[in-house]
Amino acid sequence: MLELIFTALLVASFVTLFVKNGRVAAVISLIASLLPVAAIIDWGNEFGLKIFSFGLEKSMDFPIAGITMHFSVTALAWFFGVMIFFLIPPIMLFSYSFFEKNRGFFPFMLFLITAVFGILLASDFLTLFFFWELMAASSFILVYMGRDRKAIISYLSFSVLSAVLILTGIALIYSQNGTLLFSNVAFSADEVTVSAIILMIAGFAVKSALMPLHAWAPFVYSKADEPFVAFLSGGLSKMGYYGMFLMLFALPGAKILQQYFDSTVATYILALIGAISAFIGTLLAFMEDDLRKLLAYSSIAQLGYIAVGFGIGSSLAITGALFQAFNHAFFKSVLFLAAGAVAYRTGKWKISELGGVAYKMPFTFMAALFSIFALAAIPITSGFAAKWLLYEAAVSNKYIFITPIMLIASVGAFLYSFRILYGVFLGENRHDDIKEAPLPMVAGMFLLVMPLIIFLIFPGYMLDMMHSALVNAGIGTVSHTNYVISTGMASYNTIAVVVGMMIAMIPAFLIYVLRKHRNIDFKDNFLAGEPYEIYGHISMHAANNFYKPIEDVLMPYLRRGATSFYMALYNAMGRVSKTVRRIYTGLSQDYAIYVAVFLLIIMGWLIW
Amino acid sequence: MVDFLIKIAVIALYTTIAMLVGILFMGIGRKIVARVHNRVGPPVYQGFIDIAKLLTKKTNISHGWIYDLALLFSLTGIILTILFLPIGGVKLLGTEGDAFLVLYLLAIPALGFALGAGASGNPNAAIGVMRALVMMLSYELPFVITMIALMIYYDTSSIAQIVELQRARWAIMIPPFMLAAAVADMALQGMLMEAPFDIPTAPHEIASGPMAEFGGKHLGSLMLYKAGTIVAYTTLFVDLFLGGGVVMHDGSILSYIVNFAVWFLLILLIFTLSLLINASFPRFRIEQAFKFYWKYEALLAFISLIWVYLMVIS
Amino acid sequence: MVMHPVLMIAIPLLSAFIMPLIKKAHRYFAFSILLLNTALSILLFAKVYNEGALYETIAGFSPPVGIYLAVDNLSALLAFLINIFATINFLTSRQDFRFSMLYLLGVAGATGIVLTGDIFNMFVFFEITAVASYALVASKKDRKATEGAIKYMILGSVGSVFMLVGIAIIYSQLKSLNLYDIAARISSMDTKMMWLSFSFLLTGIGVEAELFPLNGWVPDAYEGAESNISSFLSFGPSKASIYAIARLLIIFSMSRTYELALYLGIVTLLVGELAAFTQKNTKRMLAYSSIGQMGLILIAFSLMDKTSYAIPAAFFIIVSHASAKSALFLLSDKDGFGDMSSKYAGLAGVLSLIGMPPLAGFWGKWYLLMGVADEKIWAVAAIIIFSAVIEAIYFARYLYKNMEGKESSRNSIPAAVMVSISIVMGILPILYNMAGGVLNA
Repeated sequence: MLELIFTALLVASFVTLFVKNGRVAAVISLIASLLPVAAIIDWGNEFGLKIFSFGLEKSMDFPIAGITMHFSVTALAWFFGVMIFFLIPPIMLFSYSFFEKNRGFFPFMLFLITAVFGILLASDFLTLFFFWELMAASSFILVYMGRDRKAIISYLSFSVLSAVLILTGIALIYSQNGTLLFSNVAFSADEVTVSAIILMIAGFAVKSALMPLHAWAPFVYSKADEPFVAFLSGGLSKMGYYGMFLMLFALPGAKILQQYFDSTVATYILALIGAISAFIGTLLAFMEDDLRKLLAYSSIAQLGYIAVGFGIGSSLAITGALFQAFNHAFFKSVLFLAAGAVAYRTGKWKISELGGVAYKMPFTFMAALFSIFALAAIPITSGFAAKWLLYEAAVSNKYIFITPIMLIASVGAFLYSFRILYGVFLGENRHDDIKEAPLPMVAGMFLLVMPLIIFLIFPGYMLDMMHSALVNAGIGTVSHTNYVISTGMASYNTIAVVVGMMIAMIPAFLIYVLRKHRNIDFKDNFLAGEPYEIYGHISMHAANNFYKPIEDVLMPYLRRGATSFYMALYNAMGRVSKTVRRIYTGLSQDYAIYVAVFLLIIMGWLIW
Repeated sequence: MVDFLIKIAVIALYTTIAMLVGILFMGIGRKIVARVHNRVGPPVYQGFIDIAKLLTKKTNISHGWIYDLALLFSLTGIILTILFLPIGGVKLLGTEGDAFLVLYLLAIPALGFALGAGASGNPNAAIGVMRALVMMLSYELPFVITMIALMIYYDTSSIAQIVELQRARWAIMIPPFMLAAAVADMALQGMLMEAPFDIPTAPHEIASGPMAEFGGKHLGSLMLYKAGTIVAYTTLFVDLFLGGGVVMHDGSILSYIVNFAVWFLLILLIFTLSLLINASFPRFRIEQAFKFYWKYEALLAFISLIWVYLMVIS
Repeated sequence: MVMHPVLMIAIPLLSAFIMPLIKKAHRYFAFSILLLNTALSILLFAKVYNEGALYETIAGFSPPVGIYLAVDNLSALLAFLINIFATINFLTSRQDFRFSMLYLLGVAGATGIVLTGDIFNMFVFFEITAVASYALVASKKDRKATEGAIKYMILGSVGSVFMLVGIAIIYSQLKSLNLYDIAARISSMDTKMMWLSFSFLLTGIGVEAELFPLNGWVPDAYEGAESNISSFLSFGPSKASIYAIARLLIIFSMSRTYELALYLGIVTLLVGELAAFTQKNTKRMLAYSSIGQMGLILIAFSLMDKTSYAIPAAFFIIVSHASAKSALFLLSDKDGFGDMSSKYAGLAGVLSLIGMPPLAGFWGKWYLLMGVADEKIWAVAAIIIFSAVIEAIYFARYLYKNMEGKESSRNSIPAAVMVSISIVMGILPILYNMAGGVLNA
């Protein structure tokens, strides 16, 4: 029955290729996207989330073109599947209103979903790569539809880089092992295997926008359709981490690296890169005026945390990393969808041109607000639990450099969160004529916010879901009950926080309620006595160049970064290329001389 | 059940006392600063008078529900923070959450202000919040570095545990932590928003920043919040470096009173220190503050961290 | 049914010469001949696949005197490719009967090169193909086309001469023209003579095979020719020539020659890809890219003595390049992808060249990397990675430039069909069981 799901998805994507009406295509896609969700729910019986089961098989062998593709569900794949496939129906719901005409979004999204389904189920390297490339191709076409030069070029080149790195790694593994099945591959600590592991991790890291391979992300995230970017950032970036988890923990890559280098330096480097991505991503984020670029850098930063967790490698760290991955999938999707909703109504992207949207689009605002709470890891959301686990892990392993960087990155998140909140949603209302986003959009966003709420009080459930995956990979689990997580150093009790909050709210609530207040107009402000009307329209929205003071201090240091490195490389290649082209002078006498010289050279080389 | 109720009662009692101490400190603070300026200054109970006046005002102006959230978040946040800090050795909820939790709880009021200032429509408020957030980013770096140093040394991240482990010797007696305490004290100056770091609420520059549009009960709750922050931050410092003021450990009523008194004296001491600095210094600009914290403070903090690290692994 | 491979050469050849008699209906006639040839090639492949390599002597003279055809899996597949692409390509070229005549000659010659087992015969077919190509390039009748054709002719003539010298040296030493015979007895040649003949032959065939630095004619010829002809050059003469080089390598079968081929391939690849990187003109860019791909194919062939992955790798790269690049050339007569099928052809073509499964280009890169991994030639792996990224960048630019198409190329459907062949070949099981096989002596 598994192949039915694949077939159904493929059929749906072909069908939507020819459907012109966006609404119809959306409905078809929505129905199709529920299939993987059903599969996940069914398999959940095995892996920790018992809802119902209809007996879907867990593995399949599919012969095609002389090779066999092997599929099987592992606990890890299931967990990532929960993370990713539950994102899609709300996104499709959102897209119902977002796309009036089907410009090609729906077919390629369905291809993408098929590809992700294949990647997660793959149990041999060739199948993995096959679907990885399908994912890259479909997402490239979706980027292509965004029609931006930098986005297209950077995305294709980085995708190809990622593909070639992974392919080389696979080829190396094959030459060492003679087999590509995950279950049959045996790693040993020799040069070839280690290079393969490093190559593959680098290839996967491109997809997860880990510095310094992140340069494509700001361009691509800001110039493609929002529902796609929501999935790209929320879902596809996790695929890179799925691959990394496979290499490092499901297959004993991390141990091999430690053996080979005789120390934990290799995984430490991964953690360091993650921390630096988090730190610099945050710094770059709050200086951006374009809402989507800000969210892009924010994504790079939040995804860096996952790499830190993987790099540290203890059970605490990996639990935290997976938790963070889960949270990020949802809150980032909501934020991109909210940005899309705002743009859909106002047509604007730049924060300096927006403002006061919350008064007209309160539901969008609430969804975005809650996601920002989760992003900033406020303790009443599930975002905190994830970060907390990571910090605990870092401190108990005594990583003195990485921990402060991680913490500061999180503090920095407040800065750009505020910029989004104030610049877009609050402040002076510049768009009086807009309405709330259409119902499907709002419904989609709220559906995505729900998991964040569920897990805020019961982080234990999340840890239960990860349980099988971690155990299968030989990593221990963190001791927890439904609402208390304890580590060797401290414990975190969500009920205590919630109860404490209830208690703490009493005085404030009393003050609020016991004294009446009257609402006044927004513009009725303390402007040191200057009447508003005399000067005509003074803009009271201080959102332009919002963080200028700190920007001035930091920019000289941040100017020379990975992106400028790539530009320099690109220009250097251009110069080399121009020089090479000068060989082709256009004169046939030159060419004839080349022929003669060539002959003489090879004769000489061969004879002597 | 009875134990549970007693626990709740003790928690409520200590929290209320902490807030009252905070309001008292506000008054004491104004008195001390005035004396330094060779003035008489208002009486030490001025804080109570101010808050009472504000809370009983008849007209209160609000800019909408988002604006009211500022009130809600700030007060809730600070009380919640106090709940997780050991006061005079009494753990309150300290075993259920650790230093990281406290750090993040301290950010909730900032978020509340962000919402309130944003909703108030006054650009000064927004600028004020921007500066507050930038300052938070600035002082957090050296502060978390010192916190990590402590965590590594005592091998725990729970504040209650750190207080316990300082029974024999206060942390500040250990050489690397002397340096760390100095750094943390400067960070404290920023946390309390005392000069030279009173940038976010600069009255002359940006019309009190986030508080520009607050009046009546909103301003009253804000003053309560300020009182709470004074207690919370100084208690945090005392818990981390000065043993939380715990000198008697036998669990008798006397020990509670003595510990409380010592704690009171210690936070008064720390607060006075910050006030003296406040009275003698003008205000930094925000980029100067940022550079100060990230260049010099962070460097010193990092030195102490490495020092501790070397001590621990050898 | 009696299947003689010689028919595949003879029929187009004769038809070409009949052409002046059928001036009016020349297009239909030529097209049906091409179709027939394609059908024959399919039959040929089926026969060879089932029965093994096929040898045929012509006119009953047995070797080493007679002319001799030798067909194995690889050559049959190549013959099929050449013919089917020629058929598709011909659909949309609109010219007079002379054009059809030359076209059929070109096809006959290219088919002959891959099917023959005799070295002088190969030379003859080279000449036929070359002369037909020169004229076809010039058929657009404008200045650029003529310039390209002249450069092609000059270099091609030099190449032919060198090839003849090489053959002459071999004949004088071994007194045989039969490829098998030569391969068997090559070691009995005087060493210096052997190297000499190899150099001349390599240079001679290399001109046609677009190897560096013999490929000066390539940018100008491809740019000047009409898009259908550029397409033809891309799947016809060049692929046949690179196959001939492979045969050459097998005949001489020395580690030094393989090594030389590897270096040559690497240089060609790098020069081609780098030159394409900053090329703004679409046709020239595709031409440089073709040079690069030829280098890649040569690298694959140069690993023949070391790994069994070499030939499948080379084959798939040939398939992918022939279909995708030719399709892209077909589309290059108009700026931009106007209609759905151009968009499809453009995107799928680029993706195949870059190596996206399940298109043929992927299998090429896959087998190549497997071979490289087996032999642990890290430098080659690094170069492949580097060139792949460079390719991605300029192809992305190409896609971006052509995104908005006003008019659709008249060739869009043929291009789409060509690219589809690439997709189909990526999926057909038959090809995986292909034993591979440039002829072994």
